[in-house]
Amino acid sequence: MPFFMLIFRNLLRQRIRTLLTALGISLGITTVVALGVVTHSLKATAEDILHAGGADFAIGQSGSADLSFSTLTEEQLEDVAAYPEVDHAIGVLMAFSRAGSNPYFVQLGIEPADLEHFDVPLLEGRYLALGASNEILLGQEGASQLGKELGDTVELKDRTFTVVGIYRTGNVWEDGGAMLPLATVQEYERKDGLFTLIYVKARPGTDLDELTARIEEAHPELATLRTISDYGDVDQGIEIMDAANLAISFLAVFIGGIGVMNTMVMAVMERTREFGILRAVGWRQRRVLQMVLGESILLCLIGAVVGSILAVIFTRAILIFPVVRSFLDPEYTPEVFIRGLVVGVAVALLGALYPAIRAVRLSPIQAIRYE
Amino acid sequence: MNRNRIVIDIQDVVKTYEEGRIHALNGATLQIREGEFVAITGPSGCGKSTLIHLIAALDRPDSGRIAVNGVDLARMGDLSRYRAREVGLVFQLHNLLPTLSAAANVQVPMYEAELSFWDRRAKAQRLLEAVGLGDRASTPPTKLSGGERQRVAIALALANDPPLLLADEPTGNLDSKAGEMVLDLLRSIQRERGVTLVLVTHDLRIAGSAERIVRMLDGRVVDAGVTSTEAGP
Ligand SMILES: Nc1ncnc2c1ncn2[C@@H]1O[C@H](COP(=O)(O)OP(=O)(O)OP(=O)(O)O)[C@@H](O)[C@H]1O
Ligand SMILES: [Mg+2]
Repeated sequence: MPFFMLIFRNLLRQRIRTLLTALGISLGITTVVALGVVTHSLKATAEDILHAGGADFAIGQSGSADLSFSTLTEEQLEDVAAYPEVDHAIGVLMAFSRAGSNPYFVQLGIEPADLEHFDVPLLEGRYLALGASNEILLGQEGASQLGKELGDTVELKDRTFTVVGIYRTGNVWEDGGAMLPLATVQEYERKDGLFTLIYVKARPGTDLDELTARIEEAHPELATLRTISDYGDVDQGIEIMDAANLAISFLAVFIGGIGVMNTMVMAVMERTREFGILRAVGWRQRRVLQMVLGESILLCLIGAVVGSILAVIFTRAILIFPVVRSFLDPEYTPEVFIRGLVVGVAVALLGALYPAIRAVRLSPIQAIRYE
Repeated sequence: MNRNRIVIDIQDVVKTYEEGRIHALNGATLQIREGEFVAITGPSGCGKSTLIHLIAALDRPDSGRIAVNGVDLARMGDLSRYRAREVGLVFQLHNLLPTLSAAANVQVPMYEAELSFWDRRAKAQRLLEAVGLGDRASTPPTKLSGGERQRVAIALALANDPPLLLADEPTGNLDSKAGEMVLDLLRSIQRERGVTLVLVTHDLRIAGSAERIVRMLDGRVVDAGVTSTEAGP
């Protein structure tokens, strides 16, 4: 029998216990992997927001706690637009309100004339007409959630809008929402002349690092946003999410580790005599160690595989909620699954350490006299 | 094989338990020669098992010296290697792993020898055939009779071809017929393989089949016995 089979057989001896422990571990791994998928995907969505319409970067108000609190003025927009490297600077105002079943329906107020420089691929219809105040462009997902088609009307903030176009950018956040004339959104949000973000498209060949540094230096009240790591300047949400992810993952590992330790301590104690026999017939301590750790690692790998599958099922299942669908587009990168495996092995080693040391330290004679 | 060569040399061995309150061995001295069949007898508690455990290097003496083939066990760095290669052990009870088949049990000591999976399998099968259980290879010990279990234990003890076989009351739990069979098997192994056999027993009839009978009392060897060339009934 191969050594591996010996390890496997040992796990099969207490099938129910093995199963329950693996299940416990798998739930821990589910948590770790699902949170990994969700945070990664939300970050990807958040980063997409910074490059909406094909922008090189976005500008927000420095120090705002949440992106939706960011407030910029027309004067600031003009200042940014005046940089010679800036090809286009487009101010947008974001609003969130209930629409249909979605409590956070995203509305992007944009000057209709700016749409020419803002890449919004239309599936049907046309862009907003210049000067129109009651037209709306719906993202494909937003349209399907609201059950609206081209030419239909949409009720929003006690106003009626006509759907003139349906777009799809590939960013769930935009595709789940709508674009409306800037002036209209400024009016119903009571933010006349104000923006949430300025989207900047630089001239070809511009050194973006240099340009963003220069803008921030000249305007300390502005934060330039190119990557997810810049988000902290305008939004604490990502940092809080990362911290929560880490904390919950640690907790899951800790709980899983205790479960494994409990199982492995029992497995070693009830086999004291057997370990004595193994040592008496010449097994080195190292081989006993390999066997105990092997059992624990195998147990946790089973848990990790099951947990990863559960995580995929879970992250697909939560998409039945429209609000989730408009923020989350689950991306399954190899990293999150590798992290699940690494966590599984870490839990295995952590949990098996004490029992393995106990097993290795048993003197053969103690074990053989043990009844 | 040199029947005059001393393979086990036990000098003044003391072994105490419970912080010196129990003297299991109290200055035991004994020499065993290569290829010999020695029976150790004595009343319960006189230290027979303790002596076997010390020879098998399962434990260390408090004082005194046990040398095997001229090497002091106390100076041997890797006792696992010694246990795996130099000695085979058969106990009265329980020295099989209950969840493994007979063949898998016999393979257990072989993990420490550099044998391939196929070699281990073939060798375990050969050993089981040698103890008359070639057809029970896939049966777990729980489904074997006491005598069959003991024969599997003997096959396991021989897994790495040790020159020394130590048996502590191997027939103690068997009826006389099964006991007879196990004893015959041990004796034939000793003769055919040239293995040195040390057997602990209460049973004077079994002791009588040995080439030499060693008597112990209160942790000492009180009679090292004389070798009878006409061994056994
Ligand atoms: N681990 C131990 N702890 C305490 N006392 C022990 C231990 N092992 C053995 N002893 C004691 O040492 C003495 C010798 O024990 P040992 O098992 O060697 O005797 P034995 O000759 O094999 O007896 P038996 O014929 O009953 O098997 C006994 O008094 C026993 O109680
Ligand atoms: Mg005894």
